[in-house]
Amino acid sequence: MNRTHIRLIVRIWLGLMAIVGVALSASSAANAQDTGGTITVNVFNQTKDAKGVATKVAVPGVTIKVSDDTGAAVTSGATDAAGKVVLKVPTQTKFNLDLDVATLPKGVVLASGQTEKAVVDFTVGAGIGGNKSYNYFLGKDDRLTTGRFKLLLQTLVNGVKSSAVLAICCIGLSLIYGTTGLSNFAHGEIVTLGAIVTWLLNQEGPKLHLLLAAPFGIVASALAGMGLERGVWRPLRKRGISLTSMMIMSIGIAIAVRYVYVFMSNSKFNRAVYYRQYHAQPEWSIGPIGINERDVIVIVMSVAVILAVSYFLLRTRQGKAIRAVSDNPDLASATGINTNKIILMVWALGGGLAGLGGVMFGAAHGLQWDTGFNLLLLLFAAITVGGLGNPFGALVGAVIVGMATELWTWVFPSFLEYKNAAALGALIITLIIRPQGILGRKERLG
Amino acid sequence: MNWALIFSNGLYAAVSANAVAYMLIASGLNVHFGNTGLLNFGQAGFAAVGAYGIAIPVSQYHWNPFAAMLVILVGAVLLAVGVGLLTLRLRSDYLAIVTIAIAEIIRIFVNGDHFKWLTGGNDGLQGFTRWMENASPFSTNGVKIWAQKIDGYRLWLLVSGWILLAIIATALYLLIRSPWGRVLKGIREDEDAVRSLGKNVFAFKMQSLVLGGVVGAIGGMWLVLDKQSAQPGDFATTLTFFAYTMIILGGVAKVKGPIIGAMMFLFLFTWVDSFLREATKTSAGKEPVLPKWLITDNNYAQVKYIFAGVVLAVLVAFRPQGIFGDKKEQAFDVR
Repeated sequence: MNRTHIRLIVRIWLGLMAIVGVALSASSAANAQDTGGTITVNVFNQTKDAKGVATKVAVPGVTIKVSDDTGAAVTSGATDAAGKVVLKVPTQTKFNLDLDVATLPKGVVLASGQTEKAVVDFTVGAGIGGNKSYNYFLGKDDRLTTGRFKLLLQTLVNGVKSSAVLAICCIGLSLIYGTTGLSNFAHGEIVTLGAIVTWLLNQEGPKLHLLLAAPFGIVASALAGMGLERGVWRPLRKRGISLTSMMIMSIGIAIAVRYVYVFMSNSKFNRAVYYRQYHAQPEWSIGPIGINERDVIVIVMSVAVILAVSYFLLRTRQGKAIRAVSDNPDLASATGINTNKIILMVWALGGGLAGLGGVMFGAAHGLQWDTGFNLLLLLFAAITVGGLGNPFGALVGAVIVGMATELWTWVFPSFLEYKNAAALGALIITLIIRPQGILGRKERLG
Repeated sequence: MNWALIFSNGLYAAVSANAVAYMLIASGLNVHFGNTGLLNFGQAGFAAVGAYGIAIPVSQYHWNPFAAMLVILVGAVLLAVGVGLLTLRLRSDYLAIVTIAIAEIIRIFVNGDHFKWLTGGNDGLQGFTRWMENASPFSTNGVKIWAQKIDGYRLWLLVSGWILLAIIATALYLLIRSPWGRVLKGIREDEDAVRSLGKNVFAFKMQSLVLGGVVGAIGGMWLVLDKQSAQPGDFATTLTFFAYTMIILGGVAKVKGPIIGAMMFLFLFTWVDSFLREATKTSAGKEPVLPKWLITDNNYAQVKYIFAGVVLAVLVAFRPQGIFGDKKEQAFDVR
């Protein structure tokens, strides 16, 4: 074989390669055409009636734009009378949908939790015949139908409602901290217990009316508080265990109890459940604000309970003893107050109030296995902002935290789901400016 | 009952890449709580910084993963300094509540829909582990040891994770034994005494926060590398308290404490779960081993959490120094 032969062989080989290459790229191009897909987009206006039954109405004339991964526009189209638009895309890859908000009819916006931008990815979960669908849900636009000022009034009413529930729950947390120094992380579980026991008597078993079932829930919570004090905290205090240990223990107890609820109920409370009464009630319109019977009961009852507890703490002998122990346990016991008895009473009172708060929260928002746990940080925020250990500080803190979360939704309507973060932010800011809280005593905190 | 599976599941859980991640998170927390006496309840926040620090840049912006690790480092340091500036002048129970609040704010942020384009919201983020899969020297088929199958990627994470852990644990060991570490210990025992010796307590606490925070963030990164998905639910407060359980189980203030503690915790945690899964299974018409009125295949999964909570509470009450800890070296009187 001489050099010419080798050259010839190389040329033939290169030529073959080129042909194969072209054929391959052609076939892959053909494949790419075959692998084009369609995206079906539906736009619905979803409304719920007073009973919570949803109806869907198609929304025509809404423009949907499609762009590829790099942001380059691919196609666009407007929904037809069935609220549907089918968009052809060249490949089965990842595309970005963008709903043109300006083309929405007046009075509707995207429902909460929905954004105008969405991602459709053909590579995740096979679509049928190269088709992927995406649904946009719309809802009533409160910002357009109601003026911003009217909405503020409604927000303030909601704030009062939230504050009332928080206040009822956190009096106990504050009193327990005041008398024993314990930051009780299991307080949320006492809140949940009251709500669950009430639910069991209300929806199952004897099917009592909520107002009849609630006292049993409250008693159960009070007994749970007393049980914890007698069974766990008093023996540990006797052994001289540190408060930090007790705080971490309360966390362990909280985790265990929370999952006991799930275990015992066979995951019944994994989704929010509701009471038979006072659920989805029609709203009464009083001028610009809407409020229903349940909310009125919650607010009136909280105010009454708070007044009664205040009277108890300020005017009665037992209440004064509680405040004395809270001020200085050693001095209180030196003056002949039986501190253990007072602390047991505080746990009963605080537990019962927590149970009542749980029932109120459950009636308003439904209850779940971790309802109390989700409230716990807000409760801590409230008692810390108000001044740790001072029950009246806790009330002030509850109002601030409750109002702050609701006002957040008014000021930043599109950041609705971050409202709890707002409350925690308020907690942090308070601690920087005034670490002892609003009604707290000034002492060295460093 | 498949006992081989139950035990091999438990043993694997104790040494897997997931365990390494927990060991790192708990080791960082141990620097705060065990060595310095800082009651940090927000370690989940540091772990979240590590997790989303790798997930967001790599998955959303196709960054080089090593650049993303720089983001984690900077993010963890900034978070630690922020937490320190906010809380270090407060009493310890305030510190606990503020740190837990900060961690929850981070979780609420990454969970929220409004920043879904960045954080993936509730669905989390996936597709940021390709570089690590490519770096794996093991065949993707993996191995089968006893009854436990381990895929190649997990095996690679396990081996590299233990090397990483060995380096970090050695560094921590040397730091804690150094004069710097002894000052931390002094702060834990008596802050005022250390102050009277002319040490800047605030600066030392801040350095402790930064060190533990960075280690915790690396742990968070490893956690999501193992899961191949970053999800906000994994960075709830429970993560922090499981880390506490591990530290206390293994022995507070010892470098080996969180490592041994995590192994014991995860072994028991997984053993209980595997055992109950087998014991509640109805197979081939046979009744399950445990009676249905007691426990079913519907609710057995909760028992491991109940167990974990009880272990934490009982340990703190009766053996706060843990299994291998030194009674003199427990950090529970911080106040």
